[in-house]
Amino acid sequence: MKILIVDDEPAIIGALTPVLSAQGHDVSPVETLHQALAAAKNSEFDLVLLDLGLPDGDGIEIIAKLRELTGANIIVLSARHLEQDKIRALDEGADDYVNKPFGIGELLARLRVAQRRREVADGSLNDEFVSDQLYVHFRRHEVRLLGDEVKLSPKEFALLEVLCRNAGQVATQRKLLIAGWNDPHADGQYLRSYIALLRQKLEYDPSEPELILTEPGVGYRLSV
Amino acid sequence: MFETFTKHERSIAPNMLASVAINILIFVLAAAGTYLAQSLDRPITAVLIFLMGVIAIGARSGVYSGVVAALTASFVYNFFLSEPVFMFGVSTADEIVPLIAFNVSAIAAGALAGRLADSAKAARAAERRSRFLLQVSGELQQAISASDVAEITRRLLPLERLVDLEIYIHRDGSLLRSGKEGHLPDTLTALLADDTSGETTSPFQAHVLNASNGEHGIVKFFVAPKQRGDSDLPDLQALANLLALAVDRCLLLEKAAEAAAMQRSEELKTAILSSVSHDLRTPLTAIEAAATSLRLFRSTLSDAQKDTMLDTISEQCSRLNRYTANLLDMGRIQSGISETLLREVDVVEILGVVLSSARQLFPDSAITKDLMTPSTIVRANPAMLEQVIFNVLENALLHGASDEPVLVRISENAEAAVLEITDSGPGIPPADMAHIFERFYRAGDRFHRHGSGLGLYIAKGFVDAFGGSISARSLTETGSGTRITIALPLVASAAEPEQDTP
Repeated sequence: MKILIVDDEPAIIGALTPVLSAQGHDVSPVETLHQALAAAKNSEFDLVLLDLGLPDGDGIEIIAKLRELTGANIIVLSARHLEQDKIRALDEGADDYVNKPFGIGELLARLRVAQRRREVADGSLNDEFVSDQLYVHFRRHEVRLLGDEVKLSPKEFALLEVLCRNAGQVATQRKLLIAGWNDPHADGQYLRSYIALLRQKLEYDPSEPELILTEPGVGYRLSV
Repeated sequence: MFETFTKHERSIAPNMLASVAINILIFVLAAAGTYLAQSLDRPITAVLIFLMGVIAIGARSGVYSGVVAALTASFVYNFFLSEPVFMFGVSTADEIVPLIAFNVSAIAAGALAGRLADSAKAARAAERRSRFLLQVSGELQQAISASDVAEITRRLLPLERLVDLEIYIHRDGSLLRSGKEGHLPDTLTALLADDTSGETTSPFQAHVLNASNGEHGIVKFFVAPKQRGDSDLPDLQALANLLALAVDRCLLLEKAAEAAAMQRSEELKTAILSSVSHDLRTPLTAIEAAATSLRLFRSTLSDAQKDTMLDTISEQCSRLNRYTANLLDMGRIQSGISETLLREVDVVEILGVVLSSARQLFPDSAITKDLMTPSTIVRANPAMLEQVIFNVLENALLHGASDEPVLVRISENAEAAVLEITDSGPGIPPADMAHIFERFYRAGDRFHRHGSGLGLYIAKGFVDAFGGSISARSLTETGSGTRITIALPLVASAAEPEQDTP
């Protein structure tokens, strides 16, 4: 993938560039929002790794602009405790976030998820989701867990579809509320109830889910 | 309790009319008595009765009324009562001497009685003023800030013509009006200019507030215009001195409080510095040692040794990360957690998140769950609640007995979701029990190796912000085994969403 790293910390760029290059990616590091926008105008990228605190402003400010300029996926690098920033970044159009500090394994896993999504999106008509445990056919509303068919209500299915289409990436509460209730301001209690129902049907231990993970304060993530 | 002259000016006129009427009545009664005694041929009695009336009027209404009464009496006596009646003048030289003597003594008696009445009135006013000053000085004892001083004094007003006051305290090069917000006269001229706020048109007097160590500011006394019958102003300089003393005391109090706060923050800074130097330096030392060893002895180290060193680097980085997160959380607690950060959260769901990361971090430890409810909704911040549960669980896993599982239990009572985390480790010594939620407190020395002394402090800070409670107790009398109980108020459960069917 062609990756644009936007981070003003030389140590982070110094650590990431060789690893990502060794993984076969083409890495361009820049240090400011201004340079990031200029780079996005001049060449195509598949992925942007965007730090939020930059010398000339908040990375959140350029997410929408980057979305217009490139078809790249955007992964935000953020501090653990800044949930509001993460939600804003995701609402602006970022695809996912990684908490700082992160292990390189975690970052590479997120990159693979993004890469897979791009490939699937390129193949356009994606009617199904397939993972080790789960098979979902979107048009037929068919769900199989380890081969066994699972009956879901229409709302449960709508939520699962969003989670599957964003598999490995966080789906914000807002996105899920729109999918299930067509209203981003619907009561979060509804969403919690339906996620609980889904977990009862899909998880081995619903109180310690391994498939539908909670991202506290942000949303849910389907583990892959 | 003080007579108010300024607020009730209109009531003065009727009072004065009544007083004049009574004086006239006394005069007429005395004249009638004199006439009666005269007609009964008792001249001495007649003169004495007349004199009594004049003295009575002087005693009642002061020196001016006394003199007026004496002159009128003299005229009336001469014209109506003494022979020859209805004309001035005396027929014989023998009669002129008693007449002169009568007039002089009437005037003198009236004047004396009047002066006595005046000084009694003045004494009453003086007493009222000193009582006022005494009361002000008494009440000002309660003042703890400079703005209290103006407020307390204002409550005791008005006194005579003094209707209001403002105190301006000298602070950081400008004069600040205390008691009312936001009024900052730029210059002394503006301050001394008439109040333009329209509240009052009274003229005023300004006094400097002098105190032991210089001038603290200015007090502006608002004084009502002088009316007939009003007494003079109270001693404003004495009042200003009282106010200066009170302001002086308050400023000293403020300074002392500041110094105490400074002292506390110094102590905190020292605690943070010593914590930072220990808790940052230890993992850094380990990382530095491992990294330099790998670089120097790359060729001679076995693969297993290299792996151990790389693990050390990773583990110590996580430790540093947890520690900086703790410091950040401490800062958030200190600066206050806003209500806007709170939302409805399922404690069971958050526990699930914590359990999955705890099982990864402590793969060798056993955790037993006992969930009495599939979900329990409280008002909290999801990420902070995750931190609370993680901190408590981490303590239990670090300090619990290695062969006994840590027990996590969630239940509900009528008002609260209750989370209990129990370990069967050596426990917390009774002497430490009261302090475990304090900042940088580590129970016993054996705790020192692990934590930053912030985990439980942060847990308590966050739980407090959610309106809940957190407590610790030992399972046995000897102190071994620890149970931490977190109770968070339940949110009235919203109606369950309508069930749609497959």
